[in-house]
Amino acid sequence: MGWLDFFGKKESAKAGFVKDYEALFVKGIPRMRPISQLNFIVLDTETTGLQPKTDYILSFGAVKVRGYTISVQSALEIYLNAPLQNRESMKVHEIMHSHEAFSLQDFAKDMLGFIGTDILVGHHIGFDIAMLEKALKPFGLKKLLNPLIDTKDLAVRLEMGPNYDTRYGKPGEFSLDELCGRYHISLDDRHTAAGDAFLTAQLLLKLLKIAEQKGIQDYGALMR
Amino acid sequence: MSNVIVNRVKEFLKRFPPFTFLSEASLQLVAKGVEVHYFAKGEFLFKQGDPAQNCFFVLKEGSVHLTETQDGQTKVREVCDEGDVFGVLALLGKRPYILNAVAEEESLVYAIPVSIFEIILEENSRVSLYFAAGFASGQVVVRTDLSQSQKARGIFMEASKDTGLLIFTGQSDLNFSKDVVTCQQGITIIEAVKKMSTMGVGSIVVTDAQEHPMGIITDKDLRNRLIAQNMPYETPVEEIMTSPVMTMTRDAGFSALYLTMIKNRLHHLIFTEDGTAQSKVIGILSDHDILLSQGNSPAVLINALMKTWDVKEMAKVRDSAERLLRYYLENELSMDFVASIISEINDIIIKRAVQMAKKKHDADYPEASKVKFCFLSLGSEGREEQLLRTDLDNAMVFADVPEAQLKEVKEYMLLISQEVIEILLICGFQSCPGDMMANNPKWCQPLSEWKKYFSEWILQPNQLAIMHSTIFFDFRPIYGYKPLAEEMTQHIYNEIADKTIFLNFLAKNALLNPAPLGFFRNFIVEKSGEHRDKFDIKLRAMMPLADIARLLVLSHRVVGINNTFKRFEKLSELEPNYRELFLEAGKAYEILMRMRAIEGLQSNNSGRFISPEGMGKIQRQLLKNAFAPIDELQKIIRVRFQLDYFTN
Repeated sequence: MGWLDFFGKKESAKAGFVKDYEALFVKGIPRMRPISQLNFIVLDTETTGLQPKTDYILSFGAVKVRGYTISVQSALEIYLNAPLQNRESMKVHEIMHSHEAFSLQDFAKDMLGFIGTDILVGHHIGFDIAMLEKALKPFGLKKLLNPLIDTKDLAVRLEMGPNYDTRYGKPGEFSLDELCGRYHISLDDRHTAAGDAFLTAQLLLKLLKIAEQKGIQDYGALMR
Repeated sequence: MSNVIVNRVKEFLKRFPPFTFLSEASLQLVAKGVEVHYFAKGEFLFKQGDPAQNCFFVLKEGSVHLTETQDGQTKVREVCDEGDVFGVLALLGKRPYILNAVAEEESLVYAIPVSIFEIILEENSRVSLYFAAGFASGQVVVRTDLSQSQKARGIFMEASKDTGLLIFTGQSDLNFSKDVVTCQQGITIIEAVKKMSTMGVGSIVVTDAQEHPMGIITDKDLRNRLIAQNMPYETPVEEIMTSPVMTMTRDAGFSALYLTMIKNRLHHLIFTEDGTAQSKVIGILSDHDILLSQGNSPAVLINALMKTWDVKEMAKVRDSAERLLRYYLENELSMDFVASIISEINDIIIKRAVQMAKKKHDADYPEASKVKFCFLSLGSEGREEQLLRTDLDNAMVFADVPEAQLKEVKEYMLLISQEVIEILLICGFQSCPGDMMANNPKWCQPLSEWKKYFSEWILQPNQLAIMHSTIFFDFRPIYGYKPLAEEMTQHIYNEIADKTIFLNFLAKNALLNPAPLGFFRNFIVEKSGEHRDKFDIKLRAMMPLADIARLLVLSHRVVGINNTFKRFEKLSELEPNYRELFLEAGKAYEILMRMRAIEGLQSNNSGRFISPEGMGKIQRQLLKNAFAPIDELQKIIRVRFQLDYFTN
């Protein structure tokens, strides 16, 4: 322990893999890159609850999408070891027992390596990102640097136009279940992280094609 | 890996034959390899005549129609439903698709890579019989009917033998006309045209009194230079002929003839008795003759590239070029020829990309777009040695402009560069991890800046400068105003004139890379990481040779020869006492290039890492022999540049 630590360094030291991850972001994606050339990671997390402050991730699922194609081979599915103090609550979820569980450190390392600089996509992605950032905090990561796309926002933009306020619509109109129904995506394995990621990925493919038909053809137009 | 997703795919597949016959383990393997594609209504999965993709399809949901286009009319041949398998015939026969597949409504399709399925076909006879049945009965869509499976096996085996790749097989294929229609200079056009008309030919060679070729007149010349110019029919032939003509001897090797025509965009090549224009005409070869003798040839590909403005089409052509490359490598064509063809195709793609970029953006930059520029390829592409679509290395140089204009011009040049890079990425090239690309503001500069860069690297050689030198000194102008590139070359030439210290640094760098063989003449392989136990052919064998060739050529103050084996060839002329060694080094480099390309095509990567264990004995020996010149050259360099006394 260095003498500086005496002054109560709040931040955790940056792990090597976090430095590697951050070093990747020297250059953004050019605005003119066509959608077919973009790399997306569609992800979902299953958590103990909805409060990023107190809850934590149980499992993480993600698939890669490029050129309007989902590669099954590329899918990632990780089950996490529960933090020690919450071991009791784990017993409620049966999720733990059937799988090989990862330590938080292994998860952080694998997850960052997997996502690289790709565009992260999710339904209500803000929540997943908050959970992931919390999980990565102990390793010195403050913020995920990837561009983000929320399939909910994208669907709203495409169906209702960019200025629509969902508060005036029907409740749940743009939930993942509703959208999958509307876009004819069969709902199975709902509420497993990988299953939801796979559903969201199929939704993304359909939304991107609609976007393309509406003239949204490159990264700049997609992210606006 | 995600079990949830693989299971989902598995559950779907196992409801339909032939997947019903698969064991749990095989099904798992297939499901893992699946790619999920989504097609909007009206989109094509493949088109009639397209080369077979490396996968076949299972319709997950939606509807796909298989249609046939004949005499401009399109008819629906089959309607695919959920679970139907299609696109198999082309795959098994390795031939182009005979039908179009178009999404009739929005459709999710599972694509199954043939490589995985081939394993299963081999181990599971029921599955192969299933496909064979469909194949033999001419079924386009494979459905649940097993009745004909028993007799079909033999046919299936036969069909898979045909590789269907039509490329030239040798000189014997070339049919050129020996009866050349000629006329003497001095006669009038109308006389010449009458002769062409009676002989039924599209061109006539103009000769002098000794029957030596002077020029050629084609149908096109008559249109463009005579009628459109309103010239009288009594004009003497020599006034409208294309002159001089390219001549060669008849027994010139096929690849030499072919390259000359492609490189010079010649439509006609004339054979004379001794190959020069000062001897009698004995034959004529037209590009049409070549097109006829070959199906899938470089000429066809280049032609297709020159005709299209569609990026997707360009990407397709570049994929075909890779098949051509594979064929060339398998048939051991000379590396010089292969590299020239592939570089030519790459160059045309880059040229077209720049033209497309200019088309798109010039209107927005009326002033800046007038500034002269030159797009450069660097590194292996600059040396015309890039066979596979590995990393892009390129740069942009533009003419110096007044300070006030610089910002706008730079913005325009960067935009053009970025657009070009995007097109090249779509064509399957890989982005440079070191960012040595024209869209990097650092490498998109006016001429004066580039001169500064080069001077700096030469005058203050440090590790980074030397690294840059090894990449940037091999630049080659691809598109634009070439004098800019020539001025860069001249500048380098002047700068290195008496800076021997720079050459010393370059020499030191050339010896830096680790030796390929260990003390016991075993391959030095990677000790850890992803490429453990593999041999890095680029770093340990090719780079040292390329570095040595560059160094020695520069030390002789020869600039403008970029290709490694051409550099060695030049060195063998410049230093006759080492002639053998240099020629051997050039040959070694060709062998290494070939090995790397074959490895890359086989493993679908850059081919940089080769597993010595996986090689046959002869190949291993060949590779080891290729190292011999490296060692000897390094010894010479150590003495010549006195590196034992030189430390920094």
